[in-house]
Amino acid sequence: MAHVVQSLDQPSNYKDSQTRVDRQKQNELLAKSSTLYVGNLSFYTTEEQIYELFTKCGSPEDGGGVKRIIMGLDRNTRTPCGFCFVEYYTHEEALASMRYISGTKLDERIIRCDLDLGYKDGRQFGRGRSGGQVRDEHRQDYDPGRGGWGAQAQRLEIERRREVEERYADANGMAAGGGGDWKEANVPVAPEATLKRGRSPEDDGSNARGGQRARVGDPDPDAERM
Amino acid sequence: MSYERPYYNKRRNRDDFDNPRREVYETPEQKIRTAIIRLGEVDVLQEIPRVAKQIREQAEGSVPAISEGFRIGVTEEPYKIPYYAHLLRLLHDPPEGEAEASSSGGTSLGKQILEDFWKGFQAFLDKLSWRETRLCIHFFAHLTMAKVISVQSMFNLLQSFVAVLDEFGVSHGRAKRAGLCAAQGLMIAGKVLKEDSVTNVIDIINAIQIYIETTSAAKRLVQPIVHYHAESDTLENADELLETALAVLKTLNASDFAETANSYPQPYADLPGLPEGAAPFELPSVLVPPEIIELDGLAADTSEDAQVKKEEWPEYYIRLFDNEVTPDPVSPAGYAVRSALLDIVEIFEVNRKECARLLIEYPKWTLPGTFKPRPGTPAELQPEPAPGKNWQLESTLMEIVLGSLFVLPEATYKAIYYIGLITEICKLSPSTVGPAVGKSIRRLYASLADGLDVEVARRFAEWFAIHMSNFGFQWVWKEWVPDVSLTHQHPKRAFMRRAVEFEIRLAYFERIAKTLPEGLQAEGAHVLPEHAPGPDFEYDEPSNPYHNAAQSVLNLLKGRAKADDVLAHLETLKTTIGETAEGDVNVDSVIRSVAVQSLLNIGSRSFSHFLNAIERYLAVLRSLSTGGIDARTDILTAVSLFWKRNRQMISIVFDKLMQYQIVDPTDVVAWTFTNGVGNERGDTEGPSAINAHDWDLLKGALDKANGRVLVARKRVSALRKEEDDTRARVKASGGDVASMEVDAEAKPDEPPESAALTTAVKAFTSLTTQQKNALARALDGFIACLAPLSSDRRANPYAREVLTEKAWHNRANWTDDDWNAWETWGWYRHFCRAYSPYLRSYSTTLGTVSLKKFEGSTDPAALQIVKIWNVSIGEES
Repeated sequence: MAHVVQSLDQPSNYKDSQTRVDRQKQNELLAKSSTLYVGNLSFYTTEEQIYELFTKCGSPEDGGGVKRIIMGLDRNTRTPCGFCFVEYYTHEEALASMRYISGTKLDERIIRCDLDLGYKDGRQFGRGRSGGQVRDEHRQDYDPGRGGWGAQAQRLEIERRREVEERYADANGMAAGGGGDWKEANVPVAPEATLKRGRSPEDDGSNARGGQRARVGDPDPDAERM
Repeated sequence: MSYERPYYNKRRNRDDFDNPRREVYETPEQKIRTAIIRLGEVDVLQEIPRVAKQIREQAEGSVPAISEGFRIGVTEEPYKIPYYAHLLRLLHDPPEGEAEASSSGGTSLGKQILEDFWKGFQAFLDKLSWRETRLCIHFFAHLTMAKVISVQSMFNLLQSFVAVLDEFGVSHGRAKRAGLCAAQGLMIAGKVLKEDSVTNVIDIINAIQIYIETTSAAKRLVQPIVHYHAESDTLENADELLETALAVLKTLNASDFAETANSYPQPYADLPGLPEGAAPFELPSVLVPPEIIELDGLAADTSEDAQVKKEEWPEYYIRLFDNEVTPDPVSPAGYAVRSALLDIVEIFEVNRKECARLLIEYPKWTLPGTFKPRPGTPAELQPEPAPGKNWQLESTLMEIVLGSLFVLPEATYKAIYYIGLITEICKLSPSTVGPAVGKSIRRLYASLADGLDVEVARRFAEWFAIHMSNFGFQWVWKEWVPDVSLTHQHPKRAFMRRAVEFEIRLAYFERIAKTLPEGLQAEGAHVLPEHAPGPDFEYDEPSNPYHNAAQSVLNLLKGRAKADDVLAHLETLKTTIGETAEGDVNVDSVIRSVAVQSLLNIGSRSFSHFLNAIERYLAVLRSLSTGGIDARTDILTAVSLFWKRNRQMISIVFDKLMQYQIVDPTDVVAWTFTNGVGNERGDTEGPSAINAHDWDLLKGALDKANGRVLVARKRVSALRKEEDDTRARVKASGGDVASMEVDAEAKPDEPPESAALTTAVKAFTSLTTQQKNALARALDGFIACLAPLSSDRRANPYAREVLTEKAWHNRANWTDDDWNAWETWGWYRHFCRAYSPYLRSYSTTLGTVSLKKFEGSTDPAALQIVKIWNVSIGEES
């Protein structure tokens, strides 16, 4: 049954870019893989939430079930960075997840699943320059479920903020007057003392890291009305 | 193969060489096949002559490709079948400019295609691919109406399927499918069949009726609405598939199939007969091949070859809406629409998104006026509403998909498929599908109070939670606030609790709490759990007498002490506690609880932490579990106490304890009946009962036991096959003259069974024993709940009463104990039908051990238990 439509459980172009296995071998592994890569998770989604959803594709009566879940972590901070591996006991369960779960929501985010060659130690860590996933390096949007701005954007923001902070580090509470009306030269004038305090970092309201579990209160375009 | 849409289009440049879906050169044969498959993507009636022309132009040598196109179209796009019949009829005409077909002397192209198509049909039938077979019969039936196929040969074809119903000991699944083949063929072609012979038609209808009459006992076990007192076969809100087909045939027959034209499109109806000189196609006669030999339970207990054959049951579909809103399954037009939609849901399981699109687009394949026009359709394009039709598409789709999800004992596919399909349908048209979803939920919720089957209620809660998690948890809970005045165990309240619990599992406590109105958040509403889910380490409190002991164990575990050291420390603790404890203390129990809870405590941060913790201390757990059933019960109890605020974790931990072989499935089954947490008391007081949460634990354990046997059986047969092959190879290579003369008696030396095979056989034997024990323990557990001895301290006084009609009508006044008893009956009934194939293998042993005592009993509970049991093992019909 795949003449009329494409089955959703076909391997996509997802791959482990650091694998040392040749392409043919990779295809063989994928054809019996029981491991899934799961992406676009919120940083706050727990393993138990993942278990709850993925167990729906489990077939314990055929000797299956969720074998383990490996949470993807930021290399530096050891905090979840938005992906995981779900390993089942059987290949069929992984295929079922591709057909039924990939593209649906978990924790109010659309997640994607891909067949994976199989977990190896070390793969649980993000490979982005900042420790998280590469995709979070260059992201341009603000995503509260994934730490706000992308890492590059965050770095840029931090950089800009530092510039801003340094710029006024020498502020002495003395504002320049800006030059007054034209006056006769060489007439001494008493300076106007303004005692405004310097701008401090606390005043910066644009704290990029959203509070824990912050979510955009966007009106979900998919939401149905009942 | 190029018809598939290129997925991942966006990324193609980047990774093109990986992508199997590149544009490839299409041969003329592939092109013609594709043209047939894509028939009607814009306007089918307009396209038919064009495609007919295209086929003619390329027909030379392409007949197999053309007939393959038809075969794919017919079996994978059944909504196009009438149009394919039309197309094939046109291909029977002589090509333009060659008006005198007879003069050219050759067989018409249409006939050549049909001859080749038949081979494909025969192949489907040989493999017993029932759906494909049935859809080909639809095609043949339309062709009979189009005068392409001879009426007599069509009747003979249907007759071959009717004959299956008479086979000795035919399985229900086989009879049901063969019956549907005959029935649906007759619905489409009945008009001409009856013109040919009235008795032929009556014969088919009677044969189906006679078969259905033998299934009444089985039907009562799988009806989605349960009334234990009622013996009636018919339900108001659900219909059995084969039975509706029979009702439709009777209606059609009464009017000599005049209604067929109002039920199925017949685009070919106005075409003239075949050109002069062309005879209608005679379908060859067929025999429906027998099923693969069943071992018929012969020594199935230990037979390694016996495959678990899921026993097939009558198929009930729940009704949610009135006949004005959604198609009436017993009206010819309604049946046609419903069965077409069911086929789409089944065929397109591989791609739920495409399936949703095809379902939404389905009206374009129906007769005008079948469905209400989509909102926003210009008035001039709106067809006249057809009398008795004009149904709502979205409500119909909900009823069909939910109906498929709720088929008992289990749906064709996993529940999550149907749930995901509904999500996709909603995404395609949120404003029109949303209200249909809401109405469906309300109907189902209302039916909870009127006997909705417990398993259907469980799936309902599961769907509800997953659906809401895909749509921002937006549900109008407010309308259910008044129901908090119902008794705590009332199915409606149980549903609310369960739905909220499932939602929390998919999200988190605060997220769900804020979706609930005040009336449901209030203390005493008991909809939301008191606390967010979390661990509950009993020994955390310094006032706990074992606080210090637990702290010392915890420190060892946190310091990653060696398992041996932990065990040694536990021994010391045993002595100290034994010496200092006041009163009657079971020191072993205390130690087990302290150790297990401490272990869970260090692993409480996540599923992975838990796995790491138990893997590190497997030796400790093994040692703790060696004290017999009591020890294992203590371990399970410790788990249930530690995770009493998170039932999801209880089932996860139980599952892994079985996986690591700390406890057996039988232990979990036994524990559930004696200490079940589902009663929401967390103790062993009060009448025994099984509710949905207990069922989850039971199911987890029974599936584990059955799954292990399956895996072990596969392993044994794989090894057997391997050795047989080796032996054959040895024989073949030594096949000289001498060995060929060896007397049959004196077998050549066979290599002994390998060690691997011996081990595998041994494992298989012990796992089947475990399986039998788990099933037996469950059966005994149910019997103890439902037909308790009066001496039983935990006897539920209402276990017998809730079965009576009088009690049922008084259910508005039922207490928690009544509802608990009623629900336990529901789970027993589900246990019997869901595990029927396994129970059958052990029916003799189980029946003798557990049910013998009821022989001659007049206890209504005993009678009901035995009755349900007998139906499930196929001994009562």
